[in-house]
Amino acid sequence: MPAHRDVEPSSLLTLTSVTRAFGHRTVLDGLSLEVRRAGVTGLVGPNGAGKTTLINLVAGLSRPTSGVIAWDGTPVGYPFPSPIRRRLGLVPQDTALYDELTVSENLRFAAELFGVSEPQRRVGEILDLIGLSERARDRVGVLSGGMRRRVAFGRALVHDPELLVLDEPTLAVDSDNRHAIWDHVRRLRSEGRTVLLSTNYLDEAEALCDVVVALRAGRLVAEGSTAALLRAAGRCVEIDCPDDAVDAVRQSVERLAPGARLDAHGAGLTVHLGSDVAPEPVASAALGTGHVRGVRVRAPDMVEVLEALGERSRG
Amino acid sequence: MASARLELTQLGRSRLLLAFTALEALTFLLLVSLFGLTGSRAPTAVVDEDHGPLAASLVGFLRQAHHSFALRSLSAERARSDLTAGRIVAVITIPPGFSAAVAAGGTVALPVDVDNVDVDLTDDIERAVPSALAAFGRAHGFAGIRVVAAERDLIPHDTGFIPYLVVSALALDALVVAGVLGAVAMTREFEAGTLSQWRLAPVASGWLLAGKLAGAAAVSSAAIGVAAIVVFAGYGIARLHAVTLLLCVAIFTCVGSCVGALLRRSLPVAALFFGLALPLYIDSGALEPERFDGNVIWAIAHASPVYYAVGVLEQAVHGLRVTPEPVSADVAVLVAWAALAAGIASSVVARRAVRS
Repeated sequence: MPAHRDVEPSSLLTLTSVTRAFGHRTVLDGLSLEVRRAGVTGLVGPNGAGKTTLINLVAGLSRPTSGVIAWDGTPVGYPFPSPIRRRLGLVPQDTALYDELTVSENLRFAAELFGVSEPQRRVGEILDLIGLSERARDRVGVLSGGMRRRVAFGRALVHDPELLVLDEPTLAVDSDNRHAIWDHVRRLRSEGRTVLLSTNYLDEAEALCDVVVALRAGRLVAEGSTAALLRAAGRCVEIDCPDDAVDAVRQSVERLAPGARLDAHGAGLTVHLGSDVAPEPVASAALGTGHVRGVRVRAPDMVEVLEALGERSRG
Repeated sequence: MASARLELTQLGRSRLLLAFTALEALTFLLLVSLFGLTGSRAPTAVVDEDHGPLAASLVGFLRQAHHSFALRSLSAERARSDLTAGRIVAVITIPPGFSAAVAAGGTVALPVDVDNVDVDLTDDIERAVPSALAAFGRAHGFAGIRVVAAERDLIPHDTGFIPYLVVSALALDALVVAGVLGAVAMTREFEAGTLSQWRLAPVASGWLLAGKLAGAAAVSSAAIGVAAIVVFAGYGIARLHAVTLLLCVAIFTCVGSCVGALLRRSLPVAALFFGLALPLYIDSGALEPERFDGNVIWAIAHASPVYYAVGVLEQAVHGLRVTPEPVSADVAVLVAWAALAAGIASSVVARRAVRS
């Protein structure tokens, strides 16, 4: 078993060389990271990156194949002991609620499992917090997906946990509910809580997270602030041109940015520029070829960021 | 406690399931009652063409001869017509001159026409008529009958076939009702993905499982209680041992939880229980003590908890020992079944809290 990392006092949770394999398939491969207190740590990565597997390990729902998970610097075994479970709240991706029970009953059941004193009063507080007091007596089975997520969010908070873990909390959620959930996370951050959330959306990570951990194919690709990651990932230039002009445009761009990756597609070219190359000269050069219908500079999306960071980390 | 309330609330919200569960307990009772009744009252005509005193006496003995007889006096024409139409099973004709011939020491042939569409019914007739004739001859002191059975009962009281059956039907009820509800208490958690919440809670999953099963067992007990009331009031069985019945419910709830934890889906659970229920029931001493059915069947029966449940229930209600093993051994085996089943369920729940 590898020795766990030297832990900074601000770290609540530390993962050291954690690997999780299902049979011959390795989903997480030697991952090490820290979740700092009083802040929001984001796990970003495309589907299949290993985010949910990592969340399950952190929540004690699954056991790592190798590696160490430590709370406050102390390695914990599986299943997690009760004191650790009391410090943890999880909002799973599938909400895992009892459809036959009302909103209030779902929350009360969770409160009783965690031995919350005055559970009914606490349920009332949580209902206010998630904005579902008026739906307290509705069965969960009749709620929309967004409302179900809010109930799951409330359930995870009912015992006032030190660490809240959210697995893609806004997946398939409408805009209103998405922003309601964002508000809850921001409030928790302002209260000094520790939050670990996974997301597919860079804008969500940018809006909520103090630190972002980027995963790809079970490996850590980069770690830092969202802005720093985006800066490191560079920019993209979309060049709209006809098929017969692609070669001329390509040659023009390659003269200016020899290391750039160029992807041809039906409507022209996408140029992926490193953070050390300014996009404006590339756009001007493309326009100068005389074949280009339009040029647009944009930030890379999640997959492009991870590809760029992955290429950089491979060296 | 919280998980018991959870299960009760969930079941309480599934009113159709509750209604059908109570109905199920009653229909199984009806099923075995019909099983006992069907073919046990073979309508048989007696045609008295003699009208003498000995003919009348013979009719009396025929009436008492076999529980399978439902004897009715008909004319020869009507009897023939009913037999052909399938309304009766057999026609026993007492020929003219029967009384005089018998009184004179002669031998008289008694015509018996049988509808042999089902040999089981035919066998009943073939057994009943000679039995009635022997009793008739013995009563009238006919020469040639030198052996008389002197019955000595092993048990000081007789138990009717239907009363015997309905008590074993309660074991069948316990298997199906408690087994299915115990299983569904588990499968619902797997299907909804809520087991992850058990794993997160600072409570051993075994306690949560115990609470859920207590809730399921309470509902099963209520459903089987309805059937027990019918047995009590409708079948005139005065001694219903509630503790034994609850023991059976608890045991089959545990067995169900194990099946549910292993299968993790409700539909296979339902198919399995309904597929196994009747074979296990028939092979459990439900119709008669299992020891009379041959070594292989007897050996198979010992692998089933229904066998021990029938043994315990027949002992508790009718005071019958229907298994060669003492009732204490039956109880011990049932408790072992429950412990093993609950242990497996608890272990599966602890390991599979996360859906893959």
